[in-house]
Amino acid sequence: MHSGINISQTDARPMYLQIMEQIRQRIAAGDWAAGKELPSIRALAADLRVSVITVKRAYLDLESMGVIVTRQGKGSFVAEGGPAGEIHLAQLDEHLSAAAELARHIGLSPDELAERLRRVRDKQ
Amino acid sequence: MNTLTRRLIAKEFFQHRWMIASSTLAGVASLLVSAGPGIRYAIGSLLFITAFVSFGVVLAMISIATERKERMLQFVLSLPVSYADYVRIKVWSLLACYAGPWLVMSGGAVALVLATSHLPDGLTPFVVLLSGFMIANFSLVLSGALLARTEGVIVLLIIVTNMFVSLFLFLVSSLPGIAAFKDGAVPHWNATFWAVLAVELAVLVASCLAPYFIAARRRDFV
Amino acid sequence: MNHAKHIELAGVRKKFRFFTLENLDLDLEAGQIMGLVGPNGAGKSTTIRLITGLLAADAGTVRVLGHGMPEAQALAKRDIGFVSDEMKLFSHATVGWHMDFVASIYAGWDPQYAATLVKRFNLKPEQPVKGLSHGEHVKALLMLALARRPRLLILDEPTSGLDPVARHELLTEFTDVLRDDSRSILFSSHNTLDVERISDRITFIDRGRLVESRDKEDFLERWRRIQLQMPAGSALPELPDIIGRAVDGQFVTLTTNRFSADMLTHLGTAVREVHRMSLEEIFVANVMHHREARGE
Repeated sequence: MHSGINISQTDARPMYLQIMEQIRQRIAAGDWAAGKELPSIRALAADLRVSVITVKRAYLDLESMGVIVTRQGKGSFVAEGGPAGEIHLAQLDEHLSAAAELARHIGLSPDELAERLRRVRDKQ
Repeated sequence: MNTLTRRLIAKEFFQHRWMIASSTLAGVASLLVSAGPGIRYAIGSLLFITAFVSFGVVLAMISIATERKERMLQFVLSLPVSYADYVRIKVWSLLACYAGPWLVMSGGAVALVLATSHLPDGLTPFVVLLSGFMIANFSLVLSGALLARTEGVIVLLIIVTNMFVSLFLFLVSSLPGIAAFKDGAVPHWNATFWAVLAVELAVLVASCLAPYFIAARRRDFV
Repeated sequence: MNHAKHIELAGVRKKFRFFTLENLDLDLEAGQIMGLVGPNGAGKSTTIRLITGLLAADAGTVRVLGHGMPEAQALAKRDIGFVSDEMKLFSHATVGWHMDFVASIYAGWDPQYAATLVKRFNLKPEQPVKGLSHGEHVKALLMLALARRPRLLILDEPTSGLDPVARHELLTEFTDVLRDDSRSILFSSHNTLDVERISDRITFIDRGRLVESRDKEDFLERWRRIQLQMPAGSALPELPDIIGRAVDGQFVTLTTNRFSADMLTHLGTAVREVHRMSLEEIFVANVMHHREARGE
């Protein structure tokens, strides 16, 4: 089974993040419907020519985000009840929490952060 | 005998098939030359001894020293064999490769002595001892090559075993029990003959067994 | 017999006149690929020779597929496919002869897979080994080892001397091995890009000692370069787990092998950038740190 996922070694993001990203895109786009079985970890690793541990890491993270569910001995499936929009929202939350974290480091108040977000959006 | 052992022995015959055939031919041809009188006999017997000795040395060198030097030994040792298996297979397969030409050349030499009128039949015991020497000398080269770990030892081995040939020809032919009957009309199978043959046999057995004992104690193979 | 650990080295020591491999512990489990990485002369080949029974350890134990080495090597090697950069096929025979030879010895030989590999590696069975280029020779060796589907593949510098296309094909075959989780691979390399891509576990060795052996993702998660900008005159906060620091004016680059988010909180506003490190960078930093710690 060909997953259509591609990973690049020159991409600055680690390989497991690239895999997560592409799986989420497919789910968000509706190509991979809820309940669809994902390729097994070993099969996807062999397909992508990456180590098993890298794919395992990606699946574990996707599972902890609720994007996929893994049933022992059965395989991994796209999580039920997560319409495409919700996955987008989950993705957005993730980016925002990273932004919030950084703001805390550099001592920005929540208001200043919100203000910056507004400015960034207006520039687009 | 398992499949791997069989295949490795077959490999030696396949690898050396041309050398086995051409050495046997060269041996027989030089015997035919030496069937003539006078100078033909001198040249023929010299060629015969050269062909006989160099076949053994080259066989052992190509099969053992070259195989190790060119790292084909590493391939052999990646197969399901222990080093002791390897040594055992080498000793027996090379002895088997050597045996055919040895039988033809030895038998040919004896037949030549008995069949030709200008060669006295009294020479037969000496020719038999020469054949015995050849296989004993070969087993010495064989086990030496298996035990040697450096190029220098191999070279020394070749020089020494070549010197043994001249020593044998000179010493054994001048033993009283041999020299006195060499030119006689009938072969004399006397005590001297049996004593020399026993020494040759002892060398043969000892050099075939030595690699077993030493290889069993060796721990590093590359 | 299905032994969970495919390779177990404990306290292994091997002394030569000018080199000693010391105190080596190593574990490889079924279903894993381990990359053995080290500079030239680090002891990669010695380690592999100890594992394949070509050398006997002076101290410690070596077990492979549950068999004690080198004593039970004839048995263990039935399930091992071993290819080394230094190994040569019989020069008098053809590639095809070797295929027949290997096929007759191993029960697991898969003629169809062998034919596929011959095609993929562009080998010619009728070609004498004598005429093979270095790359073709390595590919022939790998074809012979892969086509018998051994439980454990041990490869000493398998990709050295191969062109990028051949290397890519090879990595495909390696990862394909792991569709079956009862098989495993140990390979040594100084090409960290190959190692980074396909290894589950990575073992760094240097100057005869083990530097570190752990899951690849651990390495990639734990190592970071943190760039700080420190106002002139301010002191660097004391931090544990910093193994390298380089100062350039106001800019300070820290290298850590135990990165955590707490570290950034601790450093506060001085943090300018945080960089992940490639395996090659981790390898070099790790080896240098290890040498310093040993006072070399």
